Amino acid sequence: MALIEIENLSVTFTAQGRQVRAVENVSLSVEARESYGLVGESGSGKSTILRAICGLAPVSGGTIRIGGAPVQRDKAFSRRVQMVFQDPYASLHPRHTLDRTLSEPLAIHGIGDADARVVQALRDVGLPTSFRFRYPHQLSGGQRQRVAIARALMLEPEILLLDEPTSALDASVQAEVLNLLARLRAERGLTFLMVSHDLAVIDHMCDRVLVMQHGRAVEELARDDLAGARMKTDYARSLFAASADRMLTSS
Amino acid sequence: MAIIAWLRDPNPASRRQARLGQAYLGWLRLRRNPLAMAGLVIIGLLLVLAAFAPWLAPHDPIAQNLQNRLMPPGTPGHLLGTDDFGRDILTRILYGARITLSVIALVAVTAPLLGLIIGTVSGYFGGWVDGVLMRITDIFLAFPRLILALALVAVLGPGIENAVLAIALTAWPPYARVARAETLTVRNSDYIAAVRLQGAGSVRVIWGHIMPMCLPSVIIRVTLDMAGVILIAAGLGFLGLGAQPPLSEWGLMISAGRKYLFEQWWVATMPGLAIFIVSLGFNLLGDGLRDVLDPRSAGK
Repeated sequence: MALIEIENLSVTFTAQGRQVRAVENVSLSVEARESYGLVGESGSGKSTILRAICGLAPVSGGTIRIGGAPVQRDKAFSRRVQMVFQDPYASLHPRHTLDRTLSEPLAIHGIGDADARVVQALRDVGLPTSFRFRYPHQLSGGQRQRVAIARALMLEPEILLLDEPTSALDASVQAEVLNLLARLRAERGLTFLMVSHDLAVIDHMCDRVLVMQHGRAVEELARDDLAGARMKTDYARSLFAASADRMLTSS
Repeated sequence: MAIIAWLRDPNPASRRQARLGQAYLGWLRLRRNPLAMAGLVIIGLLLVLAAFAPWLAPHDPIAQNLQNRLMPPGTPGHLLGTDDFGRDILTRILYGARITLSVIALVAVTAPLLGLIIGTVSGYFGGWVDGVLMRITDIFLAFPRLILALALVAVLGPGIENAVLAIALTAWPPYARVARAETLTVRNSDYIAAVRLQGAGSVRVIWGHIMPMCLPSVIIRVTLDMAGVILIAAGLGFLGLGAQPPLSEWGLMISAGRKYLFEQWWVATMPGLAIFIVSLGFNLLGDGLRDVLDPRSAGK
């Protein structure tokens, strides 16, 4: 049984009487400890799927099951599934120190020993512990994204939803953050569901990838198919062509 | 000097040190702003004067002396002159500072807090909660504040405590509006989504994450409204519904002096000057406080 099972998921936004179907009948399943990618251009509905899992987008049809049971967004869910957002400049509270940001999930769930856990979390993501009482505006983009990753891991979840975790960062920092994520996944046996518009990133991180366009699933590819450029659809091929040169240099 | 180094340590070792360090940096920011410091000095001085009024005042604030009524400023023994019952105006201003400051303090704490809670709850939940709370706010805003306060005092009975309550109950709607507007801009941000995803309840999100973002604009409003609060308290006193004679409250003193404004100008002018200076102090301090409360302005 797969850890994350999504069947015929549809998400419909209603704004001023107009309905926008952001995701239509998408199905996918992610095995435990697998890293699964969602790729597509902007507006293809890939981020919306992650937000739908978290209850941040209105699901209009289909089912989402985690560990075989339909999702309920309670405290147990938050100890199981956490998310890293795209923009590290918007995902940290500007008036809270890193200490506050990282100890908040512990306080919510009544987990003790906050001091030691916060210090350990900073070490785990490669930040100096002297940063503990800094504010987000005193950090660079890459450092902020490390804090966001540390925050997502405070509750020791098994599933990490990654919404373009590196697209707001410049190239050298991107590689550092991706390597950090790969290391944490190996160390903790995490399951990733990762969104990106960049096939090079997906190729680096994911075992399988679902190509999406206009809210629909186009094609699912295993990593070998991706590396060997064995796509069945034209759209996947054109997406591959757009980032092929960077994939070759990175591998 | 060691303590300053400890406070300025960029890598504090404990939560307490970090908090005290932040407070120290805030103080440095405030000190760099000369106008805010002027405001702070005015408010501080006033607090001291109010606290030590019985020792500083040259006379008894309610002792009448009809032979000495309406003496001009500079009369020996009466630096700011006397009023229509021959009471020393300086003495009455000093004692009046106690009443005026306690009215301001009570209103400045209760009204913004009420407004913040209503505004953030309304903005955060949206939907029918927002509809109901904002219509109530509209109703309160639709009445002139003084009239509404009058109606409340008329129901509750005259007196300084009821005046404070009435002013607080009529002063919150603007704060609710400001807080709601700020809440709407932050409630869909990723950091709110992140903390909700961690399982935080609505109370924690509103209190710990949304209110800190609303605080600066509300504080600005509070300091700008302070002069108005003093005047409403004075207005209630004037209509016999606030502080009761012979209590020396500044607004009451102005209304008493109104009758003699052209011949004995000092009776109304002296407490008026006191109100002016306090309002000025609050306005100056409020502007500086906004900078202190924003940690992002630390580097500038």
